[in-house]
Amino acid sequence: MFKELDPILHSQLRLAVMSLLIGVKEAEFTFLKDKTGATAGNLSVQIQKLKDAEYIEVQKQFKDNYPQTLCKITPHGIDAFEKYVKALQGYISSNGQS
Amino acid sequence: MDNQEELSHKQSLELIEEMIYKAKNSYHESGTSALLWGGTIMFCSVVSFANTWLKIDWLNMVWWLTFLALIPQIIISIRESKTQKFKLHTDDAMTGIWISFGVAIFLTSYYTNVFKPEGSACLFLILYGIPTFATGYTYKFRPMIFGGIICWASAIVSMYTPQRIDLGLFFVSAFFSWFLPGLILRKAYLKKGNV
Repeated sequence: MFKELDPILHSQLRLAVMSLLIGVKEAEFTFLKDKTGATAGNLSVQIQKLKDAEYIEVQKQFKDNYPQTLCKITPHGIDAFEKYVKALQGYISSNGQS
Repeated sequence: MDNQEELSHKQSLELIEEMIYKAKNSYHESGTSALLWGGTIMFCSVVSFANTWLKIDWLNMVWWLTFLALIPQIIISIRESKTQKFKLHTDDAMTGIWISFGVAIFLTSYYTNVFKPEGSACLFLILYGIPTFATGYTYKFRPMIFGGIICWASAIVSMYTPQRIDLGLFFVSAFFSWFLPGLILRKAYLKKGNV
């Protein structure tokens, strides 16, 4: 019996954001936008969903008089991400792919 | 990127790998600081080396340039922090190591100026090796690992050599630990389209 994949993470943009944040301490919104190629509006919505799930922390501040949004993965988010990757590996190793 | 697209398990893993790779390759060390410090120490070593023959008193002050070099270093650090859009887990640790190094060098300089111990070059070369090796080891950057080892090897040699040769050891250590890695980093930085 396979574990059900986390629906919060099993979506292209949210998974991309989490994968970027797992490798860094924190990243600006513009960095995530550049790397994912998503629109600002769509990215904001998905970041909010990750924040609501407490997978990431979002900090809004000013840097050189410009607004800056910093995103950081939480320990809860790291745990969820690791479980998600293990579940994926389990699916793939057992039956090739979905 | 569209969030509505349904991902297969394999595509999900591929996406994770792609994003981790993108994040990893976004880190661009410009090499400016390494070039600045490598160049400064090499210059001071050459001038001091020449002065062992010239014997001009004021030329011994050339090592004060290392303190003056703090000014461009601060400017470089502020400029780079403004353009950096993300922070690595290791950034704070690296900053701590290099600040500790700066304080240790200042205190050692003060100690050697006041007490004038024999063979003080050895102390400086040991210190040079610490942050260099630590940085290279952390970022798996072989030129700096090698540079750190060169510093420590030079420290051993300097225990048995006269001051004139010690200055040559400073030059060699600064070249391999900072100047050469700085050149390599700079070349890679410019190659990635940065100005």
